[in-house]
Amino acid sequence: MANAKSNFDPSLDLELIRFTKLPRALLWRCWTEPEHLMPWFCPVPWKTIECEIDLRPGGVFSSTMLSPEGEKFPNMGCYLEVVKHEKLVWTDALLPGYRPSEKPFMTAVLTFEDHPDGTKYVARALHKSGEDRKKHEDMGFEHGWGTVWEQLLVYAAKMK
Amino acid sequence: MTNQSQQHLDRLFHALSDSTRRAIVMRLSEGPASVTELSKPFEMAMPTLLQHIRVLEDSGLVGTHKAGRVRTCEIKQEAFAATQTWLEKQRSIWESRLDRFEAYAASLHAKENNHGKRKIKL
Repeated sequence: MANAKSNFDPSLDLELIRFTKLPRALLWRCWTEPEHLMPWFCPVPWKTIECEIDLRPGGVFSSTMLSPEGEKFPNMGCYLEVVKHEKLVWTDALLPGYRPSEKPFMTAVLTFEDHPDGTKYVARALHKSGEDRKKHEDMGFEHGWGTVWEQLLVYAAKMK
Repeated sequence: MTNQSQQHLDRLFHALSDSTRRAIVMRLSEGPASVTELSKPFEMAMPTLLQHIRVLEDSGLVGTHKAGRVRTCEIKQEAFAATQTWLEKQRSIWESRLDRFEAYAASLHAKENNHGKRKIKL
């Protein structure tokens, strides 16, 4: 994941850089202990009702969100890189044990570093590459824009 | 989602459900082209090609205009704006998630510091 930054595609990916006075170790716990992740992970009136974390590469990171209408939306993925208090990488492209998933959506890269005012942390969300469409001309829309459309639809369906 | 936007998405997906139409969109994503240019890679009668182009036009993905005897087709950028909207949506999901994360971490920090102080008093 060393090249996560050079991989960055502004048309598909996000980068959020933030500073906080809170210590790294505390921030780390909020991302890696279900008890401390569930309270904030999704916006009210949605609820995170289940969360499983096995903090090692290939270990499970799953959460289930409950919509106000009572519908459950499970997310399943695994960690790719775990450097305590420094770096956390996970994806839903791979299930626990690295088995490829049906519907890859994103890889998230979180990094924490000390800063004179506390902690600087960066969240990157890498989404499926639009390059696929050039490689697979015929199937381009399934693998490139098509995925984006699909994600848009799934998201819109959830929002209605 | 409104009925209207559902119908719009139906038309978009219908337009993109055909490999010839996807190939046309691919070609147009590199820049505008005349109908004659577009017809070159395809072995099909002109009326069939024109029909594909009409479906793409109806979906809002492609616009055409005629200058003299040449009809030029081009991608309509705004049709793809929905994908931009999608990325912006993802950003706002992350922004608000990090807001909640920080607020929670701050409250946890305060709570644990209080516990620490109480322990010292005891």
